[in-house]
Amino acid sequence: MAILERITRNIDNRYWDPGTKAFPVKNRYTAGVAGQWFFEELKENGKIYGSRCEDCAVTYVPARIYCERCFKRLEKEKDWLDVGTEGEIHSFTAVHRTKTGEEKEEPSLVAAVKIADGLLIHRLAGVKPEQVEIGMKVKAEFKPKDERQGGIEDIKHFKPL
Amino acid sequence: MSKKVAIVGIGYSGFRTTSTDVSYREMIYEAATKCYEDAGGIHPQSIDSFVASSEDFMEGISIADEYVPDQLGAVLKPVQSIAGDSLQGLASALMQIKTGQFDVVAASAFSKISNLSSYENVLSYATDPAYIRPFQENPYFIAGLEMNRYLYETGTSREQCAKVVIKNRYNALKNPTAIYGAKIDMDDILNAPPLCKPLGEFDKSGHLDGAIVLLLASEDKARELTDHPIWITGLGWATDTPNLDSRTDTLGSARYAELAAQKAYSMAGINTPYNEIDFAEIDDTFSYKELQHIEALKLCGPGEAGELLDLGSFAPAGDLPVNVSGGSLGVGYLHEANGLHRVLETVLQLRGEAGPRQLPGVETGLAFAWRGVPTTTGTAIILSNKS
Repeated sequence: MAILERITRNIDNRYWDPGTKAFPVKNRYTAGVAGQWFFEELKENGKIYGSRCEDCAVTYVPARIYCERCFKRLEKEKDWLDVGTEGEIHSFTAVHRTKTGEEKEEPSLVAAVKIADGLLIHRLAGVKPEQVEIGMKVKAEFKPKDERQGGIEDIKHFKPL
Repeated sequence: MSKKVAIVGIGYSGFRTTSTDVSYREMIYEAATKCYEDAGGIHPQSIDSFVASSEDFMEGISIADEYVPDQLGAVLKPVQSIAGDSLQGLASALMQIKTGQFDVVAASAFSKISNLSSYENVLSYATDPAYIRPFQENPYFIAGLEMNRYLYETGTSREQCAKVVIKNRYNALKNPTAIYGAKIDMDDILNAPPLCKPLGEFDKSGHLDGAIVLLLASEDKARELTDHPIWITGLGWATDTPNLDSRTDTLGSARYAELAAQKAYSMAGINTPYNEIDFAEIDDTFSYKELQHIEALKLCGPGEAGELLDLGSFAPAGDLPVNVSGGSLGVGYLHEANGLHRVLETVLQLRGEAGPRQLPGVETGLAFAWRGVPTTTGTAIILSNKS
């Protein structure tokens, strides 16, 4: 048992190029019951909703319909709450590469914004990378209502208070 | 442990940045033939079961688990695929033997990442489609967030992370399979192009192609097949929440590693890991991860890893050598095969076959693998050359 042959010259190599023979994989992803409600609140009312598990004393942001700690169901009528649009920077990073790895002209700032007990991942604006600090208070800036589409980007970005 | 299980064969191939001459299946075939030869020349017909770890999209085909059998000699045999790091696959192989239904089981994994034209797209596809993916950001932003929080919470410095890179790439100079071995300066790392600050280009391990096959056997079979069985004395794994928004308490730490190690230590009867473990091969996908994992694995107190690194504790001549092989930063990043790579290096040390990087008198080793961003899965394994 062994491989006895080897290709030893690059020029002899062949590869199959999926660029020309690939087929597109397309799919949908449903935001789900919680996602639907959460994004609707962003779009219609410019509000960020969380859901609170009293037993665990944890408020999830974005809101969801079950507690991942105790596995209890979180009901919209009872456990969902408006958590405001302000939070503090829990961590941040200056992203210098595009999604596919090329160098960006200007880095973008991405932050984990702590609102209640949750972390909302979003962009930071109105501040230079070297000025950002963990613990800094920030506020969500929404897109104008007619531009909102019911997604996480209905929030344009977060800005320092 | 009810039934002792040992690693009785190791085989690997590739360990190159590109490998256009062989297909990934031929690469696995080569690793398998070497592994079976190492285990006393066993024929795959005598192997009871096979576990392969892989991830669709990386192979350039879908439903990749159906492509497993032939390159391992596993056609018409029990085959199991694990969509996860190969150390989880090895856990499955171990459990199969412990059922008493199988005596000899092979575990395999590979990386042919050079075939992939857009790895970051695959990673990006692994992030939450509704809350994260719409930003269309480079998926390493998660590592940037983690690193920044880790430094903040522990007081570890950027320079201490850079020292991990210096150590591991230097260690790799003594490892003939390591592609990224280099003598590199602090300035090289701090001045490297930024990726997702504070993470820079050299804080991330480089891609590597390679295949690894390991053979596991029950005690009686192990003694039959080899003179140097390496015993698996403990193993554990855990997964933290996949939701970044829930990681308020764990964005800067590696709770999954702590829980995985707890289970492995308790199985192996290890109470004071720092004293009882002779050396460790620990995930260093990113520089900060090695320090964070060392702390989570209780090889030092919280926030102490950077300082101990400064003192040389994790160097080959230190109290607890970490990644003498060069780790992923020095050898290269083998994707789902990373876990088996950790184990491979640990086995070589415990057999006394690690050549110029051999540590003297080692008996107990720890290997730990993490599955990389955006995941929070880690697996720990304790290996020993004493029965």
